[in-house]
Amino acid sequence: MSNPYRILDVPTTADDETIRAAYLSLIRDCPPERDRKRFERVRTAFEAVSTARGRLAHALFDKTAPTPEDVLAEVVAAFQPRPVDDKHLRRVLGAK
Amino acid sequence: MSRKVKQSKPHAKPAPHAMDSAALAADAAAALSASRFKEATELFKELVKRERQTAWVDGLAESYAGRAQELAAKGMVKEALMLWRNRAQLCGKPLAQGDYLVWLLRAGERGEMLQFLSDKSLPDAMRLNLEMHLAASILAEPNATPSGLSPDSALLRHLPGARAALEAYCKGDFVALETHLQAIPFRSPYRDLKTVLKALSLLQTDVEGARAAITRLAAGGAFERLAAVVRAAVLPEDGWLAALRDLDENGRQMLLDIKGCPNALRPFLLELAKLGAAPAPAQLFDLLTRFRRVIPEEALSALCLRLFPQMGRSIERLPDFKKLPKETQLHMMALAAEAQGVLGSAEEYWKDLANLLSKIPDQKLRAALVLRHLADIALDNKMDTELNAEAFRYVEKSLELDPDDRSSYLAIIRTLRCENELAKARAFLDRALPRFPKDAGVLLEAVEVALAGKAFKKAVGFAKQVLELDPINPKVRGLIGQALFSHARKQIKARNLAAARKELDASEEWLRSPVEWATLKLLRVFLTEYLDETLLRAAVADLGGSLVGAFRLLLEAGKVGHDPRSLLLSSGCNLTAPPPAEAVVALAQVLNAAPDGAKALGAALGPLRATLKRALKMPFSEADYLLVCEALHRCEDHELLTAFTKEALKRWPGRPVFVYLNVIARHGSDIYFIPYKDQDALDRAAREAHKQGDHRTSSRIRTLLSPPEEDMDDDSFDPFDLPFPEEGSFGSAMEGFLGELSEAKGESLGGALEEFLNDPRKMFEMLVAMQGEKAFLEIMRKEFGKQEFDELKRQCGGNQKDLIRMLVDAMVEGAEMEMPAPVNRPGPRKPKSPAPKNQKDLF
Repeated sequence: MSNPYRILDVPTTADDETIRAAYLSLIRDCPPERDRKRFERVRTAFEAVSTARGRLAHALFDKTAPTPEDVLAEVVAAFQPRPVDDKHLRRVLGAK
Repeated sequence: MSRKVKQSKPHAKPAPHAMDSAALAADAAAALSASRFKEATELFKELVKRERQTAWVDGLAESYAGRAQELAAKGMVKEALMLWRNRAQLCGKPLAQGDYLVWLLRAGERGEMLQFLSDKSLPDAMRLNLEMHLAASILAEPNATPSGLSPDSALLRHLPGARAALEAYCKGDFVALETHLQAIPFRSPYRDLKTVLKALSLLQTDVEGARAAITRLAAGGAFERLAAVVRAAVLPEDGWLAALRDLDENGRQMLLDIKGCPNALRPFLLELAKLGAAPAPAQLFDLLTRFRRVIPEEALSALCLRLFPQMGRSIERLPDFKKLPKETQLHMMALAAEAQGVLGSAEEYWKDLANLLSKIPDQKLRAALVLRHLADIALDNKMDTELNAEAFRYVEKSLELDPDDRSSYLAIIRTLRCENELAKARAFLDRALPRFPKDAGVLLEAVEVALAGKAFKKAVGFAKQVLELDPINPKVRGLIGQALFSHARKQIKARNLAAARKELDASEEWLRSPVEWATLKLLRVFLTEYLDETLLRAAVADLGGSLVGAFRLLLEAGKVGHDPRSLLLSSGCNLTAPPPAEAVVALAQVLNAAPDGAKALGAALGPLRATLKRALKMPFSEADYLLVCEALHRCEDHELLTAFTKEALKRWPGRPVFVYLNVIARHGSDIYFIPYKDQDALDRAAREAHKQGDHRTSSRIRTLLSPPEEDMDDDSFDPFDLPFPEEGSFGSAMEGFLGELSEAKGESLGGALEEFLNDPRKMFEMLVAMQGEKAFLEIMRKEFGKQEFDELKRQCGGNQKDLIRMLVDAMVEGAEMEMPAPVNRPGPRKPKSPAPKNQKDLF
């Protein structure tokens, strides 16, 4: 399984309530009849980390290798959204 | 004299100029239809040279157009332009068609583009398209004033507004941006720019809005390169990382700008995108290592820790690994061993980790989780509801560290209950109940423990608590109901009818299913002095009528000590006619579901045998026949099973599962009593089952033909017992035997060996006696090989004792004994002190 915290879009320090709220919000957007794959991914992620014991167990026993998206999720905290550099934009416009 | 006939060479196609026009025209048309534009161009050129027929000229124009498109798609824009000009010149087609104008822009031939724009006869749609493509390149040069354009050209009139909008966006002034965008008219050459800038401005605040905006823009337009970046930016979740790969370098930088990626991290991200969707862990690790200086430390640490277990044994050689705390090292090694499937090593690492963590006050919960994980590893079958000894120890220890885990209590209590260790089970229940007073699972265990200990009132008390929490819990009702029935049956058997009546009256509160109510009705029949036939018939009808009802009646009769045959006669069941297949299948289902043992079921089936045999020829499906046979196998009714499987093999010859069940029915499940002919048949059936994908049958037969060795996991090991031979050779078995012998007699190993050589028959017979006949035969099977062993067995007609005698003779007479070289053996043993008191006599 990919990082369940990334799937639920919560920090690794999130508590039971935060995780549950995130889960309920996500499955509202992807109920099983509309997007079964995504629903199952979200459900699996929730079941893995919904309790304190579960989170500890996940940290102890999860062997899955991180995906490139997991790596991205880790470094994205250093990102600061900003408008596009004028130079880059014009290069895109003028590219042959 | 004969001549050899020369083989003519394959007929070579003539050059176009040598072909007649009709053939040439046909070839040209075929090449054009097949999109072989280069070939078609050559052929049509030749045709047009001969005669300027309209069809040929049009064909040539189309070939030129196709070929030009091909070249442009490969980036050979100048070559595409040249072909298009040829098309115009030779075929009289207008230049300003198709993508010519776009190619002009791409090739930097703006001069010619502007000439077209100044041509007043240019159609409006083409003019707008041309202006839009020009617009993008004009905007790329922020300070240049484009020349060659008419002063009233929309490109010039709207340019200041477009430039101002771009500037406002780049400054982040979205209010000004909105104003400038409003000023760009709908039919402006800059209109696509409006959409793109609008989407860009929404990215930070309304991604859905940005997505909706950019979706409205058709692909392939003048501002497509810009739009492609925005489309990547609005991809859901982290899809934009993969989209980086599909953009050119300028697009990637712009996308990373949009995402706010710091410059230092960009090379890392670009390399990450290049790795693809599923790179090997080693590739990711290598990438992280190379860019470690730019990646935030916390992120780097978290990612490396997730990757370490994927690195296998090499994890220990990683320079950073040794710098990690001991606890983390053990954790990573345990996960790495598990990832490699080396569970033995994993177990050791987990144990060390659990020991370490258990000594740290705030890590006891983690230690408990590790112990439970060890219990999972120790369980052979994770579906088992009972713990084996090793798993039990781990779980028990985990509760000392973390006394609040419900599942652990349930597993322990269930295991102790099934092992009839009721006092211990109660002790754990006493710890669990205060912690989980309203837990139906724990209370249910309390019911079962109480029933097992015959504390019926207590059981009822707990049962009522379960029903308060879960009013329709069928299991607890069933437990209490069955317990009351069980008490009533005992009373009926002892002729204490009043007491039995009380139990049955009490049971009414707990019954739910029709079968339970029917059973109650039947048990009430046994309360009457004289048989109430009406009540009996009603009960039997409620219990399923004819075959099923009769079986249930016989089962109950057996439990309460009543004469089954007289009851059967009065039951109203017609058992003389052949029962329909459905009735037999229903009976099989009841047999499979019944909790009673094989003896009770078999006894109840006895009076129905003749009836069931009449059903042999009924039209069963294969699945139903199998269901019936498996039920008979469960009841160990070999007579019926033999009859049914014999019939099954007539209908479905060679079907492996029926072969298996038929052999079991006739000979039982001890391999040594199965004749060689039937073993052959089983072997063939196993292979056939495997071919058919029936792995269950294949496995059952294999287990029957090669029974597993005895389990050596025995805590009652007596060091003075001779050891079982290790897997494999006779030699290692002899080594073990001689070693023990020498120790027992206080001799050297050489002394024991010499005694063996002097009287090998005596020694072999001793070996058989000490290790058991079965073990000896297993060693011999490995020593001789299956084929030879089976041949010897056949010679003995399957008689075990004769076989052993024959094997000992063979070993004594001719077989050379392989004694393993004493590798790393210690020196001669010192004389031993007198043997301990409880040592068995060896001679």
